[in-house]
Amino acid sequence: MAYEALDFYDIDSLLTEEERMVRDMVRDWVEERVLPNIEDACRDGIFPDEWRVEIGEMGILGAPLKGYGCPGLSYIAYGLICQELERGDSGVRSFASVQGSLAMYPIWDFGSEEQKEKYLSGMAKGELVGCFGLTEPDYGSNPGDMITRAEDRGDHFLLNGAKMWITNGTIADIAVVWAKLEGVIRGFIVEKGDEGFSAPEMKGKHSLKASVTSELVFQDCKIPKDRLIPGVKGIRGPLSCLNNARYGISWGAIGAAQSCFNSAREYSLSRIQFGHPIASFQLVQNKLSWMLREITKGQLLAYHMGKKKDDGSWIPEQISLAKMNNVDMALEIARMSRDIHGANGILDEYPVMRHMANLESVKTYEGTHDIHNLILGRHITGIQSFTREP
Amino acid sequence: MGVAVLLKQVPDTTAKISVTGGRVDESSITKWSISPYDEYALENAIKLKESGYGDVVVITCGPARASKCLTEAAAVGADKLIHVVTESGSLDSIQIQALLSAAVKESSCDVVMCGKQAADTNSGSTGPGVASALGYSCVGAVTEVSIEGNVISATRLGPLGLEEVEVETPCVFTFDKGDTELRRPNVRGIMMAKKKPIDSLTSDDLGVDTSNSMVSVESHSSPPEKPPGQKFVGAESVPAVVNMLRNDANVI
Amino acid sequence: MSTTVISESSNNSLHPITAQLVGAASALGGSITIICPGGIGATDAAQISGVSKVISVEGGCFNTYDCIAWSESLSPLVKDDLILSSSSAMGRELISSIAATKGVPVVQDVTNLAEGLLVTRSIYSGKAIEEVRISSPCAISLRTNSFEAAGGGGSAEITTVNVSRDITVAVKQALTKAGERLDVSEADIIISGGRGMGEPSNFSHLYEVADALGAAVGASRAAVDTWDDIPHSMQVGQTGKTVTPNLYIAVGISGAIQHLAGMRSSKYILAINKDPEAPIFSVADYGIVATWEEALPVLKDQLSEILSS
Ligand SMILES: Cc1cc2nc3c(=O)[nH]c(=O)nc-3n(C[C@H](O)[C@H](O)[C@H](O)COP(=O)(O)OP(=O)(O)OC[C@H]3O[C@@H](n4cnc5c(N)ncnc54)[C@H](O)[C@@H]3O)c2cc1C
Ligand SMILES: Cc1cc2nc3c(=O)[nH]c(=O)nc-3n(C[C@H](O)[C@H](O)[C@H](O)COP(=O)(O)OP(=O)(O)OC[C@H]3O[C@@H](n4cnc5c(N)ncnc54)[C@H](O)[C@@H]3O)c2cc1C
Repeated sequence: MAYEALDFYDIDSLLTEEERMVRDMVRDWVEERVLPNIEDACRDGIFPDEWRVEIGEMGILGAPLKGYGCPGLSYIAYGLICQELERGDSGVRSFASVQGSLAMYPIWDFGSEEQKEKYLSGMAKGELVGCFGLTEPDYGSNPGDMITRAEDRGDHFLLNGAKMWITNGTIADIAVVWAKLEGVIRGFIVEKGDEGFSAPEMKGKHSLKASVTSELVFQDCKIPKDRLIPGVKGIRGPLSCLNNARYGISWGAIGAAQSCFNSAREYSLSRIQFGHPIASFQLVQNKLSWMLREITKGQLLAYHMGKKKDDGSWIPEQISLAKMNNVDMALEIARMSRDIHGANGILDEYPVMRHMANLESVKTYEGTHDIHNLILGRHITGIQSFTREP
Repeated sequence: MGVAVLLKQVPDTTAKISVTGGRVDESSITKWSISPYDEYALENAIKLKESGYGDVVVITCGPARASKCLTEAAAVGADKLIHVVTESGSLDSIQIQALLSAAVKESSCDVVMCGKQAADTNSGSTGPGVASALGYSCVGAVTEVSIEGNVISATRLGPLGLEEVEVETPCVFTFDKGDTELRRPNVRGIMMAKKKPIDSLTSDDLGVDTSNSMVSVESHSSPPEKPPGQKFVGAESVPAVVNMLRNDANVI
Repeated sequence: MSTTVISESSNNSLHPITAQLVGAASALGGSITIICPGGIGATDAAQISGVSKVISVEGGCFNTYDCIAWSESLSPLVKDDLILSSSSAMGRELISSIAATKGVPVVQDVTNLAEGLLVTRSIYSGKAIEEVRISSPCAISLRTNSFEAAGGGGSAEITTVNVSRDITVAVKQALTKAGERLDVSEADIIISGGRGMGEPSNFSHLYEVADALGAAVGASRAAVDTWDDIPHSMQVGQTGKTVTPNLYIAVGISGAIQHLAGMRSSKYILAINKDPEAPIFSVADYGIVATWEEALPVLKDQLSEILSS
């Protein structure tokens, strides 16, 4: 049956025609290109290159950025794009999030004119793939203590260190790498083929299998001086990228939740036990009604967050709440949906287990669930509890 | 010169159709789309334009909601958008063809393309009817066209199979599916489409009398439920089924 | 009410739908005239019972198909208030053009026709039924196998008329001959294969059954899209052909809604699918849960047994 998105509070009526058209375009693409092929991609552990090309052709990368060949869409449209991509698979949404919010955004906001001219339009078309290197083997939730270092060698910089868990790393043409220069976090653009740079792929994931995850290794990696991103210093640089990506995830999670809800509803209506469709039992209805409730709340949250992104009246803590809430509800819905599917729920014929496994990554990256709790805790009490030092 | 594409907005082929009070409840249809064969007409019109043949003018005849299909067409490359605004479902074929023909005349296009039939009524009256009304030639069930001067060669599924035909403009082509891949819209197209004005015309503007329809809908109903089928497991049930096909159903 | 029937032909002879058109017209009373484009099947048409007159229209333009030239040649010969044709691709096109030329409305693909001119047709791919009142003069195309055919034994007078119009559509070359095989839109029995056939070469098993039954072979879109050897002309469904045979046999077809759109109004449906949950079973009168590898050989044997006896 055709996919009918849950829209209990008629969010659709709040969208502009342009936003709806962009949403439908991505929805159709996911329906035609992702859903029939996603299980193969997961089994093979690849992000099919034609998806990169087609996403580029749709012109949705770096959605809310303006100028330099970028789409210049609203944040609501960007959210809708994430929602539809993640209805297909979190890995596909991750590709777009990393490219747009983590790789294009810092160049767009903090890059030099030359850097913007050189990279952005190719990235918007998907011809150049970017990745974002912040996390290190020993520094995840506290990236501020990273050990990757850059040294000024007069006519070039020398990078040393390693990044881990880097989405798109191996397939990327450029990496936006955060490293300390004289003790201060700075962004650098490293290009594929730069001397001393390699990006081996990490294998064996049980989650986000259709997304490439890599290490970035810098051994006396030599990069020209003009690859330093001039406009930002300190942890604010990477964090401002994360704000945009996290906002997108708050929508993406709704897509994954919708997929799981949809499958649960259809399955429960057709599965007969004790002589009746299981959808007719109160305990199952309770689950479905809970899903409807949580998805609807998540939609209102994401929509309003998008409006605030569009008018500039937001604070990062609001994004933390949207990301943690929506991923949390999506993961819970995935688990509940898996339960409703019984044994069938573990099969790859249903999207549920895949979303469930994916959402475990989504819960962790872009600030773990609990790190967002701590961000909100600090906001409420004024007391930071990330470290024991005052 | 130019290609007019006649588009009809229909419930998406996957939409649920419900009947209340003897009428299809249009308000419960959640998704309206360009009728699938019309999309092939549009794609081929855009290709013709890319090979240098004038603008693509898309024309739809229908209620207010139908303007959306014009914007969708603009997003993939249509140049001019004409909406002939009518009440839903009240006109007969002669009236619709008169409105569309008048709109084609306004556009001064000498090539007209449409789907071989629309997915709602599956009629297929519009293309040949408009051709007769305009005095144009007509080639049906076409899958591909190319143009040289004012001669268009087309691949059509004729009564004798697939054949290549040549026809001079002015001509109407009705499209079948074929191998043509439909282009996907992109963000740039969508943003440009939003800015494109829609020329809204009424039957009065076009000088067509739509007061007396010769056709009126008496009622709609849901299709009768089939009696439940019988299901058998295993190839060993084949003989029994063959027997029923022969003796109960009388079809073999 | 008197009626003009535009006859339907295939392979240079009269198509059986023509007798069904006459059957439908007879139920309304009044005289019945059959017009035979190109004169094809005129003698057979004259033998359909209830026909008062056959006009055999001969003329150069009938050597190739040009809908406008045909309709302009035929329209002046149509004198009755009701025009009937088959709802085949050509039937629809021709009657649309004739109706437009005469300035009368047309309703297509009708499955029931009653006095007062109340017609029934299926809309939204069979998801609803529409009853329409249409005032004559008007034109109506009828769906195959929906009307009782008139019997034989008639002896209508045949008038030969020579008219022609300029052909504007020139056939340059035939790209593929219409298969020697029956086309799905013409067959009373269709056996279709889907992606479940595994490989296009496995369609040979379907052809064997088809040969035994005199059936046409069709396909799902997945089969057409996946395999170059399966041409689009075989596709049944929303973007393929809509068929209404007496018997539709679906093998290895899941029964997606777009496929059902093209075949659900078949009189009887037999589905063979290994998946007991396949949606095709919900429209099947007879469902066999089995792989085709197991089921088709038995089917072939059974058919040759009963058909030879
Ligand atoms: C598939 C995938 C793709 C990724 N892609 C990228 C990428 O493209 N670029 C990039 O830079 N990174 C990427 N990451 C890394 C991701 O951002 C980190 O995994 C994340 O920041 C968490 O770091 P960690 O895994 O080291 O966990 P840790 O920081 O070690 O956390 C482990 C656990 O401890 C908890 N914890 C940590 N500190 C505290 C505290 N103070 N109080 C309470 N609890 C605490 C956490 O909540 C968590 O539950 C990716 C990760 C995955 C899984
Ligand atoms: C706008 C649009 C228009 C469309 N138009 C059409 C159309 O006109 N016609 C059409 O058909 N589709 C159409 N489709 C596509 C449709 O949605 C389905 O994708 C298609 O019908 C599926 O074809 P299938 O049943 O052959 O394949 P699948 O859905 O892959 O089904 C294969 C079936 O074979 C069974 N099977 C596998 N192995 C065996 C075996 N050894 N023995 C027996 N059974 C086996 C499986 O259980 C399964 O049920 C359209 C789609 C869209 C979006």
